[in-house]
Order: sequence, then structure tokens, then C-alpha cells
Amino acid sequence: MLRNAIFFILILAMPSHAPAQLFNSLLGDESVLNAQTKQVNQFFRRFNGEENARGERFYPSDKDYRNPELRRKYLNVLFDQQNASMTDPLRESFVREVLSQNNPQFLNFHGGQWFAEVTTKFLYQGKEENLTLFMKLEKENLGHKWVISNVYFRHFYQMFSNNQETGSHFLHPLSHELDFMNLIRVFKDKEFVELYTDKDYQPDYLTLFLYEFKKGNLKFINVRDVKFHFFQVEGWYFELSEFNRPGSNSGWLISGLLKIDDSQKDILMKYIYHE
Amino acid sequence: MTRIIGILAALIILSAGTLKAQDDISPSRKQAIDSLALEKVRDLSKYISIIGNKDTPWSEANRVIERTLELFADGALMGVSSLSREDVNYYGVREYLERLMALNYDKVNISWYNIQYISDLERQPDGRYVGVITIYQRFEGTTNEGLRYVDVTKKDVTVYVERKTTQISGRIIGFWDVLLGDIRVSETKPG
Repeated sequence: MLRNAIFFILILAMPSHAPAQLFNSLLGDESVLNAQTKQVNQFFRRFNGEENARGERFYPSDKDYRNPELRRKYLNVLFDQQNASMTDPLRESFVREVLSQNNPQFLNFHGGQWFAEVTTKFLYQGKEENLTLFMKLEKENLGHKWVISNVYFRHFYQMFSNNQETGSHFLHPLSHELDFMNLIRVFKDKEFVELYTDKDYQPDYLTLFLYEFKKGNLKFINVRDVKFHFFQVEGWYFELSEFNRPGSNSGWLISGLLKIDDSQKDILMKYIYHE
Repeated sequence: MTRIIGILAALIILSAGTLKAQDDISPSRKQAIDSLALEKVRDLSKYISIIGNKDTPWSEANRVIERTLELFADGALMGVSSLSREDVNYYGVREYLERLMALNYDKVNISWYNIQYISDLERQPDGRYVGVITIYQRFEGTTNEGLRYVDVTKKDVTVYVERKTTQISGRIIGFWDVLLGDIRVSETKPG
């Protein structure tokens, strides 16, 4: 155990691009397992500087709790080093702002502004299909629970046209005088039916999903992949994914990083939700 | 038996707590609960090694399966994934253990890495606490023909922690009970 901790301290001390494999061959597999970020919980703790190299938790009364130097070392190993889109200047800028003396940023498990994207497999119309569940933490009674907040399913998405141009697809303003008999034209063609809804109408994919599930048209098979989206750090977005690969740069790591303002945040949320 | 020892251990560790004791978990109490939970996970590791061992007589392996099941909350599942396929397969704990017992190797060696990671405890809506302990297992199966299969799996073990009470000599004593829940088993690449 001590040996593993020493290895991890070495990892923290060395430049991020140094070959961890060199140490692996010296010390064996366990040291690599110790270095990898094994749980999302550990990602939170390392990000905040709330545990030591052996993975033991620090509490506010401990000397090194949220120590900025410790945090700097941890933060540098929390990025996917194989992702070239996260350039050194971008990462350095992020770390600098997270460790800002005046306004240091910490992750808060119950702080909202982070959610999970869970890729699942369902049986739909006799075929295995991917379906994405977006999940968030919600407080209830004495504790918290994960809840489904949104759904993306290709078949639902394709069913609803984004075409806002009504063209000839509208009910004229005196339709009421004829007891809306022209509704016969509305329901003649499946493709244009949503063009007759009010302009604020948005399809509710979650309700649609629950309906199809309750009708027995969707049958759960398994979970294929999980990742997380974080908006907790002011002015930044990052994505957290699990990397199951050899070496110490593995486990739960930042797999995407963007500097964003509030307006970009809305665009990004829409992109994530496929809206 | 393990369960009785566990409860007694919890009583000893936490005997200072009375019925009115706070439900919040202080750092020192968390450490005591972690030890108790880790003890259960170590029991599980030990039992898995015994069940998987081809030298273990069939009747003994079945007895150990029953003892293993005592560690778990009802309905616990094992979600198993491997590097060769994307799918996760779900098994009940008994089914998982029986499959392990029936594996078609002539020699099986299951060992455990000296690494474990214990998460924080989070409270559920029903007031129980939940945590996850991560451990790593090395499996080696060999046939008489010399074919050898080796894998390393990461096991993320759910741990439920619940405050209970018992009466001893007319006094009501509060204690924390620990039960294991769902386990995610994923083949990993540690090297």
C-alpha cells in the first residue's frame, strides 16, 4: 500500500507527459490501479484536494484539506492526456481559474449543474437500439436520488420535424365557423401534423419514452456507457468519461473542456440534449 | 455467523451511540463504518476465492455460497462486462456464484490486489446511507491441456449502511448495520 502511494506521489510530481509505463514495469500493476481515478467520487475528491495519495479522505480539520498545491498536482492528472483537443494553454487556463486565490472553484456533489448521460440499449420494434437517458440528482426526504430528466432516442427525434415553415399547413382563422371540419386535412398526413401545434410546442421525449415503455414497445437490455457533463466551474464546461486502458492516465478523467459564457452554455445544453 | 460477528463488531465500535444518537455520520464514525464495510467486502473476496477454487468440495462450495448470500441485501445483482464485448450481463448473486463454481477449468486461482477505494457515504431518500467500495481481482483458469485464461476485473461493490437498534439487558442500543448490494464487475486493463 505504501509502495503504491509512493508511486502515485511520483506520478503527481512528474510532468504530465512522462511515460507512466516506465514506473509500471518497476512497481507492477497495483501502483497503476492506485493512481487511476477509480470512482467519480474520487474524481470529486481529487479535484477538490480532499484525499491523500492513498485515497484516504481529508476532512476540514485536516491540515492538507483543499490544499492548493495538492490540488494543482491532482488537477494535472485528471485530464485525458491522449486528447489533443485539450491543449496545454487551455488546461493551464482552466487550472489557473480553478485554483484562483480570490475565487477558488470546487465541485459540489449536491450543487447541481452537473448531470449524467447514460447510453442504454433497448429492444424496439424487434431491433436493439441505443437510447440515451439524461439523469440528475434530486433531493427527496432525507437524502438524494438520481432521476431521469430527459431522453434522446433517434426514432423519436426523427419523428418530429424541425420544419417551422407551415406553408399551406395551417387551419384558417374562420375554421371554427365550420366546426373545424378541415381537421380532416390535418390528420390526413402524419408528416406535417406538428405544424398545426402552437409555436411554443416542444415534443416531450421523456413522456414519449415512458408511454412506449409502458405499452411494452421498449424493453430494457443494458447500460452501454456513462459520462457526465459539468457546468459547476464558472465560465467552463467539462465532460467526464471513464477510460479503461493501461497506464496511470486511466479511470474517470476530463475528456472534453470548453471555456464558455452563459449564452454558449444554452447552446451547448441544446447540443448535448440533441435539441 | 459472519453477520452476527459484523453486528457485534458494530455494537462494540459504536456502543457510545444511544437510540437518540444522531443519524449524521462524523469522520470517526465514518472510519468505523468503513472498517466494517471493508470487512464484509473482504469476506466476499475470501468466499469468492473458495467457491472458485477447484479443490473446494462441492458441498463446501455450496455452504460458502449460502454464507456469501448472507452478506447481501435481497435482490442484489451482478452486472458483468468484459473487454471483448460491449454488453453488460446481469446475474443474481447466487447465479453468479454458481456460474463461478461451474467454470470449466481444471485449476482456478483467484487473487486480490491490495488496493481498495472507499467512497463517501451518501444518504438515500429512505434515510439509509449508500457507498461504493472498489476492489480488484485477478482470475487465472488453466485446463489440463495447458490452456490458460487470465483476467483482471474491477469490482464496484454497493454498500448499504443502516442505523438499527437492539435491546441488550433492557437498554436500547443503536448500531450501524452494513449490507452489500449490486456489484458492477468490469474487466480492466491495469498494466
